Amino acid sequence: MVLTGAVRMSVTRHSRRRLLGAAAGLATAGLSGCGLLDDDPAPPEAPDPLQPLLDEALALAASYDRAILSQPGLASRLTPLADDHRAHAAELARLIGRTLPSSGTSAVASGPAGAAAATIASLRAAEQAGQKSATAACKAAPPERAALVGSIAACRATHAEALR
Amino acid sequence: MNPQLGAALAAEEAAIYAYGVIGVRLNSRGDETEARAAEQAHRGRRDYLVARLSQLKASSAPSPAGYELPFPVTDRASALKLAIQVEDGVTQSWRPVLAVTTGNDRGTALAAMTEAAVRATRWRRLAEVAPATLAFPGRPE
Repeated sequence: MVLTGAVRMSVTRHSRRRLLGAAAGLATAGLSGCGLLDDDPAPPEAPDPLQPLLDEALALAASYDRAILSQPGLASRLTPLADDHRAHAAELARLIGRTLPSSGTSAVASGPAGAAAATIASLRAAEQAGQKSATAACKAAPPERAALVGSIAACRATHAEALR
Repeated sequence: MNPQLGAALAAEEAAIYAYGVIGVRLNSRGDETEARAAEQAHRGRRDYLVARLSQLKASSAPSPAGYELPFPVTDRASALKLAIQVEDGVTQSWRPVLAVTTGNDRGTALAAMTEAAVRATRWRRLAEVAPATLAFPGRPE
C-alpha cells in the first residue's frame, strides 16, 4: 500500500490529489466505522421480567404517599406500608441492576380529601391486585429469584390484611 | 427439595403443638376462633407435606414428642407473642421451598407461606403490635 502510493505520487499531481482523497476517504470510512457503533443507541435491552413488579412497587408507594397527603390522620397507619413497598423497590432495583429514580414524594396534587374509609378500601384493592401479580411473578421466576419475589407477594397479602 | 420440605414439615408440626398451648391461654371467643382456624390450617399443610414426602419416597424425621417453648406461656399476652413467633417461623420455613420447586409445588409453598404471614399480621393486630407487617416475610432476620 505504502509502496504503490509512493509510486503513484511520483507520477502526476492529479493522481496525488486523488490518492490523498482516497486516503482521506479511507480515514473517514475508518472513523465513521467506529462512529457508527458509538452513535448507535444502546441496543434496546429486553426489560427485565421483574421490571413490572418494580414499577408496581413504586406505584403502590406513591399511592400511599398521596393518601397520606390527603388524609394526614392515616399517616401512622400507612407510612410503614409505604416503607415496605420502597424496600421492595430498592431490593428489586438492586437485583435487576437498575438505579431507582431519586425518590421524593411524587408531586401529585392531593385530590379532594375522600373519606378515610374509601381511601383505605382503594389501597386494599391495589394491594390485592399487587399480590396477584407478585404471585404470578414468583411462579415464573428462576430459582434464585423465587424467594425474594415470594416475600413481596406475601407482604402485599399482609398489607391487604392490615387494611381490613 | 426434600430437606426443604422436611424443614417445613418440622415447622408445621411445631406450630400444631404450639397452638395447643396457646389455646389454653386465650380467653375471648375471637382469639379462640382465630387459634382454632390457624391450627386447622397447619394440620392441612402438615398432611400435604407428609403425603408429598412419601410420594417422593423421602422419609421424614419423626416429630418430637414435646417441644421446649421459647418462653413460658402464662397469659394472653405471652400466648399471642408465641402465636406471632410460630407463624413467623412457619413463614420462614416455607420460603426456601420456593427456590427448589416449580409449578404447582411452588404455588402451594407460596400459598402456605403467604397464609402464615397473614396470620402473623392478624396476631400482631390482636396483640396491638405495630407495625403489623414485615417488609420481607419469611426472610431470616
